[in-house]
Amino acid sequence: MEIKKLSQHDLVAVMEIEADLFGAEAWLETSMKSEINGDFTHYFGVFQEGLVGYAGLSSVPNTFVSDIQTIAIAKSHQAQGLGRALAESLVAKARALGSEAVFLEVRADNEPAIALYEKLGFTQIDIRKKYYQPSGVDALVMRLEVHQPIVLGVESSCDETGIGIVKGNRLLANALHSSMDEHAKFGGVVPEVAARAHLEAMQPTIERALKEAQLSMTDIDAIAVANGPGLAGALMVGIGAAKALAIANDKPIYAVNHLVGHVGADVLESGSVTLPTIALLVSGGHTSLLLVRDLLDDVELLGETIDDAAGEAFDKVARVLGLPYPGGPEIDKLAETGDPKAIRFPRGLSLPKDMVKHRFDFSFSGLKTAVARHVEKAEDQQLPLSKPDVAASFREAAVDVLLTKAINACERYEVKRLLLGGGVVANARLRQQAKLRCEVAGIDLRIPRFSLCTDNGAMIASLGAQLVMAGREPSSLGFGAESTLEVTKVQSH
Amino acid sequence: MAMGKDGKERNLILAIDTSAGTTAAVFDGETMASFISYEDRFGHAENIGFAIKRALDEAGIRAADLTMVAVGRGPAPYTGLRVGIAAGVSLAVALGIPAVGVITLIAVARKHPQGKVLVVADAKRKEIFVAGFDAGQQVIPPSVSTSEQLVDFADFQQVDGTCDASLIGHYTTWALAAGMDLSDTSALYLRSPDVSPSKGKRVSG
Repeated sequence: MEIKKLSQHDLVAVMEIEADLFGAEAWLETSMKSEINGDFTHYFGVFQEGLVGYAGLSSVPNTFVSDIQTIAIAKSHQAQGLGRALAESLVAKARALGSEAVFLEVRADNEPAIALYEKLGFTQIDIRKKYYQPSGVDALVMRLEVHQPIVLGVESSCDETGIGIVKGNRLLANALHSSMDEHAKFGGVVPEVAARAHLEAMQPTIERALKEAQLSMTDIDAIAVANGPGLAGALMVGIGAAKALAIANDKPIYAVNHLVGHVGADVLESGSVTLPTIALLVSGGHTSLLLVRDLLDDVELLGETIDDAAGEAFDKVARVLGLPYPGGPEIDKLAETGDPKAIRFPRGLSLPKDMVKHRFDFSFSGLKTAVARHVEKAEDQQLPLSKPDVAASFREAAVDVLLTKAINACERYEVKRLLLGGGVVANARLRQQAKLRCEVAGIDLRIPRFSLCTDNGAMIASLGAQLVMAGREPSSLGFGAESTLEVTKVQSH
Repeated sequence: MAMGKDGKERNLILAIDTSAGTTAAVFDGETMASFISYEDRFGHAENIGFAIKRALDEAGIRAADLTMVAVGRGPAPYTGLRVGIAAGVSLAVALGIPAVGVITLIAVARKHPQGKVLVVADAKRKEIFVAGFDAGQQVIPPSVSTSEQLVDFADFQQVDGTCDASLIGHYTTWALAAGMDLSDTSALYLRSPDVSPSKGKRVSG
């Protein structure tokens, strides 16, 4: 016996069994075809030298429930446990999809089926009179509760202390404390200042997250914590806290990759894992282009910045223009009244010769220097200087190179999906251009809400939950901070 | 309060200190029931979980049995120090029990109740942390100094200020019995973050 996903090629065999079993109440072939091909339906067949049964599940993302559409076993193969095997496959699929309940309808006169569902834990919650036509038989509505893991995530890799709580694919809480204001007078994130702020913020942020989720620590099934990449001293505060939280109630702990966590944020936004995707992660600390085929097992780094992060470039250019930290929002504001084509600033690593080694890498240090030269030259020679034009032209160059490379990656790897993450996603021009250019290229653009784009604990909890749902072993208690952790290492042990 | 087998209330305190190595101890009242030490002065994040877990296991209790957590507040190299405080405070939050904090130099001074002693601990960057005591009373508050400046304290006997969870635990039980307030669990920072605002440099010559 083999159970596998059905494809359109199985349609004829499916319809033979369907007609034989259900006669006048059988589904039409067109309905069955759209069921098998549907985006939100999952059909499996059981094979024994050919198809002998099939079953289908429907699960719309963000509803957190699944419905069993049908389970059918050919007359010649009934009473051999095949129905049960298919039903178990559907329940396992529902669990993996993040469903918290599975519903089904069954004919009130189908005693063997009702007995099977009861054995699997389904209970009757309703009855639909004369549901099946033309026979006029009643339908019993049954439900199975599925427990999805409740995971608390700890994020402390840079200047945000984040505690998030998720239940499977569902966001329950996302408490955040930012020390950004304390870094403002230094013009950038100071590691020691960030680490001090994490320690102070840890307790109140944990308490806020629990309150937001209306849970207590004893309700938490597992702890997840970002152990890299990031600032070592900052990461260590989160690791110390997370290990203690795990020990307090004897729960498993998962050390997860901060950057892959940004991809996990999308799961919370859409309620489902939607892969493969190209992910462009841009913040004050990172500028990375990833190809994610599988969230837990197949994350590839296509390219990253070879010098400054994109957010850092915004901060430095802001300083050149006499604007406060953080520079992103200030430049955005100033650029609104400027001409993005006024000055042609360089696009780093975009020349033909760069395509060999650095096709998907970024460089912003030359751009920043070009802006500074432009401003210094104007000041030295007392030429008129339009700061809005400089801001708009700089922003245009940065956004252009980010999106050109991201969209090229989508095309090169034939992945028609682009996910944006990181604090620079707050940039209005980046979002606007991304929408425009993805639409033209036929790419599905995904931008989680801003509180899930910036560093946050919920995305760490989300990645932890995916590990729990996939049955992965927890990490040991002995992991440490890894400031240069590679994206291929999704979980540290 | 946890109940003992005899039905009496028990005070079970977990003491944590990461001012030097990573150490954890369980105190059953005034008696130390377990003590775990990892000497590596750079492995705090790696060892903190093992230290706490083993201290609980060796004392034969579960975390849920604890009635209080006590942490060493330093002064000490901050990166490691914070790991222990973060763990202690978070454990207390998770269990809904109080956390208290102890200044490590003061905990060490408890071992030296006679005469004038200067407790000296490594502060890295060629600096030291010091605090002075006379017959157990603090006469010089915790401060940053250098080995050259130690001549100023010639009439003090210098003692090693290396602290651990056993000293933190002993001090906690004594100080609480004496009615002292240990509610501050923040790290004792005696230096400002080592950074000055950048002015920005010219790029063209």
